[in-house]
Amino acid sequence: MPDVLIADDSEFMRNLLREILEEDHTIVGEVENGVEAVETYKEQQPDLVMMDIVMPIRDGIEATDEIKTENPGANVIMCTSVGQEEKMKEAVRAGADGYITKPFQKPSVMEAIEDVVPS
Amino acid sequence: MKVDIQSLGTFNELAHEGAEQATRSMCQMTGLDAVVDVTKITLVGREDVGEQLASGEYVGVQFDFEGELAGETVLVLDRAGSETIAESLVPGGDVDETMARSSVEEIGNIMMSGFIDGWADYLETTIEHSPPTYVEAMGEEILPRSDGDDERDQVFVFKSEIEWVGESVEFYIYMLPEYDSLTSLMASHTDAERDAIPVDKLEVFNEMTRDGTKQAAQNVEMMTGICTEAEVTRLSFAPIEDVPKQVGTDTYVGTVVEFTGVPSGFLLVLFDEASAVHIAEAMMPVEMDADELTEQHENAIEELGNIMTSGFVDGWANVLQTSVEHTPPRLVHDMGQAIVDPLAAQVGQHQEHAFIVDSEMRTDDIAFGAEIHALPNETELRQALDELLVDRADQTEADVEQIF
Repeated sequence: MPDVLIADDSEFMRNLLREILEEDHTIVGEVENGVEAVETYKEQQPDLVMMDIVMPIRDGIEATDEIKTENPGANVIMCTSVGQEEKMKEAVRAGADGYITKPFQKPSVMEAIEDVVPS
Repeated sequence: MKVDIQSLGTFNELAHEGAEQATRSMCQMTGLDAVVDVTKITLVGREDVGEQLASGEYVGVQFDFEGELAGETVLVLDRAGSETIAESLVPGGDVDETMARSSVEEIGNIMMSGFIDGWADYLETTIEHSPPTYVEAMGEEILPRSDGDDERDQVFVFKSEIEWVGESVEFYIYMLPEYDSLTSLMASHTDAERDAIPVDKLEVFNEMTRDGTKQAAQNVEMMTGICTEAEVTRLSFAPIEDVPKQVGTDTYVGTVVEFTGVPSGFLLVLFDEASAVHIAEAMMPVEMDADELTEQHENAIEELGNIMTSGFVDGWANVLQTSVEHTPPRLVHDMGQAIVDPLAAQVGQHQEHAFIVDSEMRTDDIAFGAEIHALPNETELRQALDELLVDRADQTEADVEQIF
């Protein structure tokens, strides 16, 4: 099962993502901000990071940029409420591999993951 | 055609002073004590004018007016308020229905003449008005339905809320000017070189906001499974000190975010307490069946506020081809005015008036109501409207698949 790191400042959303993913994935960490996301990524080297954008301390785009600098082969899916075109382009520039907008349902999450980390 | 902020402010002040004059007349005649609470100019969908009157039983006194400014105006009182006025005019007397009606009609006549005269004096012109017409109706039916410019979806409305001191009675003065008459007048008082906004862009912005509200309602529906509809969206303009009054004194639960970019400002998503519990329950995978908000409810509300905020502002960003950043949501649980006060104070450091974007959504399935209030920086909103390309107004959604 692929290892997944969940980075989202909302406890509610972390729980929801965990419930969606835990059947087919191993959740290696749940973090609340971009700094913790980068640190945990370096420690755990998960197969996939589900990354929120709007988070305190360091946002998800900066964290993605740092993770991709550390490991260009890292897989990061932005998982965010932000549906702005300019923000999506920023995410692409930071190296994000996929983008899901909240609110989402399980099929769209699984589809995005399959695109990035084929089973 | 353009309007500037100063003209909007002046016209708002005129309506406020007119309402104060009308209220003084009423107090003088009846011995009752009343004050004008708030006056604002609102750009709103024609079908939403007067929605705040809900389904109460009202009496009113209507006038048509014409001249440099033309339109209709109405004094609206609830049934109990009109009876109190009638009794105060005939102290100790036996007020039959005819007398009650006549007294309200006359007091309306005197009040509204004072209201209209203020406009005429400022404009240095004469504004003629019709004899008063006494009307009785339920809810918004009390307001006149102009057939003059029906082709317009949006209309400007001046509304003053007047509070009866020591009584739980409010009454209202609505002025519904003809669109062309008002915008021509505002344009003629505008210094186009200074801070003018094209009126059509205000309308487009209002439509974008309506789309944003629909998106936020769809997000609620997707997260909760509860069929939710965007109900009202309006763009108001009021003195900064009146902004907290827009929200009122009920207790709310919701989120506040600060957004940056063009425009910057604050955005509030507020639920009444009962709605907050209902909606949070609907979001949870297991039934909590609690009467009060728990930490889990608050977590759910915080995330819902976050998602609704994005649904609301993303459209602005996509149309304006920019990005609007916002802070993580901050949970609030307090009286409406207490939530808005510090935000208005912060925005008020740089401006005397504020545009306020208000949206409401409702559902028939459960008792649920949500309000979204945006308080944008006035200068930046003006800049954003200046940069707004009207023919991009429908491009509120970004295509993820095209970008990734």
